[in-house]
Amino acid sequence: MSDAETPPDFDPVAPNTGEEFEPVDVFPDSDDFDLRPGADSCYKCSTCDTNCPVAEVDDDFPGPKFQGPEQWRLKQSDDDHEIDDSVMDCSNCMRCDNACPSGVPLSQMHNTARGEYVSEQMDKLSVEYIRNRILANYRTSAFLASKVPRLANFAMNFGPARWVMEKTMGITSERDFPAFAKQTFRDWWADRGGQAQSRENARAARRRRGLPEDADKKVAYFHGCYSNYNTPEVGKAMVRVYEEFGYEVVAPEQKCSGTPMFANGMLDDARRHAETNVSSMSELVDEGYHAIASCTSCSMALRQEYPELFDIDGIDKVAENTFEAVEYLRIHEDLKGEVQAADVDGDLAEEFAYHAPCHSRNQGLDRQAVELFRDLDGAEVEDVGDSCSGISGTYGWKEEKYEKSMEIGEEMFEHMEHAEGETGMTECPTCAMQMEHGSGYEIRHPLELLEAALVE
Amino acid sequence: MGPTPHIAVIGGGSTGAGIARDLAMRGLDVTLVEQGNLTHGTTGRMHGLLHSGGRYAVSDQASATECIEENRVLRDIASHCVEMTGGLFVKRPEDSEEYFQKKLSGCEECGIPAEVVSGEEARAMEPHLAKDIDKAISVPDGAIDPFRLVVANAASAQEHGARIETHSKVTDLLVESGEVVGIEVEHDSGPGKRVHGTEGGTEQIRADYVVNATGAWAGRIGDMAGLDIEVRPSKGVMTIMNIRQVDTVINRCRPKGDADIVVPHETTAILGTTDEEVEDPEDYPEEQWEVDMMIDTLSELIPMLDEARTIRSFWGVRPLYEPPDVGSDDPTDITRDFFLLDHDERDDLPGMTSIVGGKFTTYRMMGEQIADHVCGKFGIDADCRTADVPLPGSEDFSVLRDYMDEFGLRSPIGRRSVERLGSRADEVLNTDGPNPTVCECEGVTRAEIQDAIEGSGSDLNAVRIRTRASMGNCQGGFCSHRMASELHSEYDEPVVREAWDELLQERWKGQRHALWGEQLSQAALNYALHATTQNRDQDPADGDPVDFSAFDSGRGQTGGSVDSADVAADGGTNGY
Amino acid sequence: MAIESEVLVIGGGLGGLTSALAAAREGADVRLVSYKQSTLRQASGLVDVLGYTPDGDGPLTDPYEAIPTLPAEHPYRKVGVQTVRDALSLFDDAVPTYEGDHTDANALLPTHGGSIKPTARYPAGASAGLASDTRDTLLVGIEEMVDFDAPHVAAHLDATGVPFDVRGETIRFPGDLRADAKVTRYAKLLDTNSEVAVRGRMVPAREALAQRVNPLLEDEQRVGFPAILGDDNPGAIRDALSDHLGVDVFEVPMGPPSLPGLRLEDALFAALDEAGASIETGNPVVDFEGEDRIEKVFIEKNGARIPNSADQYVLATGGFVGKGVESDREGVYEPVFDCHVPHAADRYDWFEGELFGDHEFARYGVATDDDLRPLDASDDREFENLRAAGSVLGGYDFAAEKSGSGVSIATGYAAGQRAAQEAR
Repeated sequence: MSDAETPPDFDPVAPNTGEEFEPVDVFPDSDDFDLRPGADSCYKCSTCDTNCPVAEVDDDFPGPKFQGPEQWRLKQSDDDHEIDDSVMDCSNCMRCDNACPSGVPLSQMHNTARGEYVSEQMDKLSVEYIRNRILANYRTSAFLASKVPRLANFAMNFGPARWVMEKTMGITSERDFPAFAKQTFRDWWADRGGQAQSRENARAARRRRGLPEDADKKVAYFHGCYSNYNTPEVGKAMVRVYEEFGYEVVAPEQKCSGTPMFANGMLDDARRHAETNVSSMSELVDEGYHAIASCTSCSMALRQEYPELFDIDGIDKVAENTFEAVEYLRIHEDLKGEVQAADVDGDLAEEFAYHAPCHSRNQGLDRQAVELFRDLDGAEVEDVGDSCSGISGTYGWKEEKYEKSMEIGEEMFEHMEHAEGETGMTECPTCAMQMEHGSGYEIRHPLELLEAALVE
Repeated sequence: MGPTPHIAVIGGGSTGAGIARDLAMRGLDVTLVEQGNLTHGTTGRMHGLLHSGGRYAVSDQASATECIEENRVLRDIASHCVEMTGGLFVKRPEDSEEYFQKKLSGCEECGIPAEVVSGEEARAMEPHLAKDIDKAISVPDGAIDPFRLVVANAASAQEHGARIETHSKVTDLLVESGEVVGIEVEHDSGPGKRVHGTEGGTEQIRADYVVNATGAWAGRIGDMAGLDIEVRPSKGVMTIMNIRQVDTVINRCRPKGDADIVVPHETTAILGTTDEEVEDPEDYPEEQWEVDMMIDTLSELIPMLDEARTIRSFWGVRPLYEPPDVGSDDPTDITRDFFLLDHDERDDLPGMTSIVGGKFTTYRMMGEQIADHVCGKFGIDADCRTADVPLPGSEDFSVLRDYMDEFGLRSPIGRRSVERLGSRADEVLNTDGPNPTVCECEGVTRAEIQDAIEGSGSDLNAVRIRTRASMGNCQGGFCSHRMASELHSEYDEPVVREAWDELLQERWKGQRHALWGEQLSQAALNYALHATTQNRDQDPADGDPVDFSAFDSGRGQTGGSVDSADVAADGGTNGY
Repeated sequence: MAIESEVLVIGGGLGGLTSALAAAREGADVRLVSYKQSTLRQASGLVDVLGYTPDGDGPLTDPYEAIPTLPAEHPYRKVGVQTVRDALSLFDDAVPTYEGDHTDANALLPTHGGSIKPTARYPAGASAGLASDTRDTLLVGIEEMVDFDAPHVAAHLDATGVPFDVRGETIRFPGDLRADAKVTRYAKLLDTNSEVAVRGRMVPAREALAQRVNPLLEDEQRVGFPAILGDDNPGAIRDALSDHLGVDVFEVPMGPPSLPGLRLEDALFAALDEAGASIETGNPVVDFEGEDRIEKVFIEKNGARIPNSADQYVLATGGFVGKGVESDREGVYEPVFDCHVPHAADRYDWFEGELFGDHEFARYGVATDDDLRPLDASDDREFENLRAAGSVLGGYDFAAEKSGSGVSIATGYAAGQRAAQEAR
């Protein structure tokens, strides 16, 4: 839809069946945000509030019900300074989305309110704004750093520099910046021979599996910033596992998924990145590819936040055809059977303390790793509970939020300590940072374990 | 001049309260009696439109002119009750162009600022308007909270020495030697603020003059003295939406017809209405088709209404009156003008005047004319000041709006509270203790509830109309017991329980007309909360004594009473 | 390919969880899919079986005695008294932190509104608060917390005729939390026993709370708080308070959001996990394939339809509140399989004018045969391999009867067990 009209059949409760649903365009030509209709579903039951990790540690944060349906219903259209500033304390973990028994689009309301707050009420020259903008645009920093990874790794964690960053920018000096890989995933991918090599590998695998060599199995990998710049081993594992099942992989042009930008109300930035991602992915979807992400926040953004917040050509098609990497194999392959038949030894013959990222929870994937690896010989995956890790992307990097972030994570740290193994596992790179920070464990991605189990 | 005349005003709607305020400000002794809460009758059952006059600009230009004049006055004196939303008369393709032009010129003739906007411009103002509307006329319609307005009028009257008695039903007119000399009332709970359970009683209130401002009930009062006052009550339905689909008053631009207006009102939008003559202002059918028609017909203007949540519907009864010789068949043809019936002139019964007909928007003007009339009877020459002196809450309001954040409330809650309280915000919201939100739907805090209780006694429905607490989407599901608890610091438990039940029942009454979809689900939840979780439907406090000894009294016991502390000592040691 | 299992349970409330648990314990490969969080967090956490008959007789001392007298369409009549007892045994085993299984008699518990209500099982945390226990009681409310006004609750309890003296006091919660702090904030503070500032000194939260209550305690032998005493460690919190105060401590169950309901939900999910079931939450079942038999259902994720197939299916999607039953101006329907929901044609017949009248809507839901298989308008089975459990069922008014949890547990148990047996 091109104007601000909400379709007459708009029903925030009805699941998006992909047929009759048209997204509400909350950003028409004017700066006219209106999600009041979403408040129609609210019972006031506060189930959402019981899921909020921030409200649990911060009594100054009034919880998702207030930030969502309550604030929207009470809000008036003709006033300035209407969004309560507490919306900036929301960490955008989106756990409340899964809560509402009545289908209130909570995170959409929060994202939109935050966007409105940032664009209408926040001082663009404030340190907070600039800091948030830098944190939100991690890709830009990472891109520069990856050109000189050694120097960057040193400089970013250089004590005096960090002290200055905390004092001037409000970026906590408690955390270590993630290390930049010496070779990015994309460099590796190009060196390895890109799509052509992948096609060859896929064909070989199909032959091994007795599948037709020209079987239509192809996926477009949305690796995201982190597996590109910081943990290319996750990206490599994804490629190898998919090729093992006979899939040809492409790694299309892409930018940041936008997750850190949503969380900071930088919706204009997010939209610019989303436009690139949607345009390159929708072309591939038209050619029969499915989009696969290894980071659950990236898949979340492509599937849910994009269609909720933006009106970009092809956006629904991309959302419908985006999957998390392991999820896709569970649906399309006999993954369970293959894992049952496999075993691991070596490095990854471990007992993993697994944390389900909030954004995986939101896609119904929070139990996937635990249930999938239940029957894998040689490795154990133990769930460390359903709490939030507390970092929520950029939230835990903010100096004023650091302690809250660690308080939220406390439950997870405790459970990790009680768990058998001393290696952690999660799908989300920032959760991994928090797990490592709080426990000292090395953190792996489920794809790495799959690779160890299934790839020769 | 003799001793100050004492005037009894019957009726606590906008007219009665307006008359009481006016007379009190002119220095007369006033007693106002109302059978229910303030606004109990028609005033509490309207869509809250502050007319620009545009609505009557073709059919009734005299009324239209009065409306625009009073519209300007109320914006001034009642700013905390008014939201200047602006209004649109919207023309759909099938609506008559000729009428559109007549409306436009009518507005001009009546001095109503009016401007034609294109369909596109109208949709830019109100994005949810139907895509195929042609164009619209923009006029200075507004929204006004009738509860707040009447409460403020009554408060002002009180400040000027008036006595206000709610829940006091007039049972007789005192007539002595062919003259009305007072009224007899039955107090629900003794004079003064209403307290449940307090014994009421009959009181004879002698007055030098009686004003019958009971609107649709005027005939009933007249009967008490054998007077024939032919009010023709006409009912209209109003359906309340959970949210505001529009922020501007939307009128359908066509000659007349049902379901042709949407008024944004506080957090909600109100759809109206119908016009159907009824026999009895208190007993008339409330029917499904009326609600369905509101939604179906107004969806032609605002399509999303069809699927949107409505939280209740209510009916109001217009106190229409026309001189006996006119004889209109259709109530929509009856004038909206008001009539002052001096029973001395009309029926040879001195001592009383009735006021009938009229509209809410011109309540003040009606009050002024009645007050002039009454003063004339006593030879009092005092100027009317009601058009110049702001109502309590509306003094210096604009200054206060900027200081909302000082009350430690979240931005939208603070804003709503300050808008309701106006210039009283400071005195009400600056409290020492914690000030938690009691009604989350409408953002009403404890301080505001306590202030309302101070003003209205143990009557939670009176607290409701003062604060809007329990008027949001949960319709009291979550806050009614909280409101009851707020009463408890002042009133005994049985009083609280009665007030609580009364509030619940009142909330249920209007909600019944919205029971499908979201609101039926909400009602099912409310029912579970009140019946399952709280057992309010089978509350032993209201019923037969329970044999406690027959029930489980803890592990190791199978019924029978427990009187030693060690029995239940294991209760606190388990994991959960 | 579809994601496969032997028994697929749709719905994660009390009915669905019990159903999946019963099926898993029967040895079946079970998968539970649930859209949003269930209404357990809106409920008090008490497990009612039957408190009043449909005619309003009660409070019943013995719920089992009354079951055979219920109307034939009542779900309890479909499964029978013995199944109700067996189902509660399963519950008692899965959730050992609940009490009340030592007797058939109902217990009476104080509500946060100040009335009392009959129930069959209650969390250990509420057990020292039983209304048939004659010990004098102090109730403590929190000034910031509008849902529990202790002096009012105490006065109301007194009016119900409880056999003890009860008094209410209000305190400020140590740490001076902001007035709109969530109940989870209170619970977390007490769970972690974090230090709070009291007159410039840092004191552990549990101790600080006890210090505020101590001077108010007179001769009472037990102290009741609103149900905010922890999420993860409620037992330890009560013990600590009890030690400081020298008397028993209990919680009064609250309305939404309910910590006891949340704890119960957690306990049931943990039991289900332990039983080896697979669980997926967050996405709705939107469609299915099949005529007489359901072949597969589709779970919708942002437009993508993920097929899930099973041999047997259990529909446990809830009632009006949980949106397992929905309505519009035209009628009432069951949205997943479009099972027939008997209801009056005129929507003004769905309810009564009195607040607590005999509302028909309260009894709307799918009708079933004795095997809990939904029936269509002509009383034929909708599908061979579909059973229904919990509040998606019609024929009873759980609110008036105080029977919601019991019906969910009993029908969930029966549906899950039978589905598993048939799938084998």
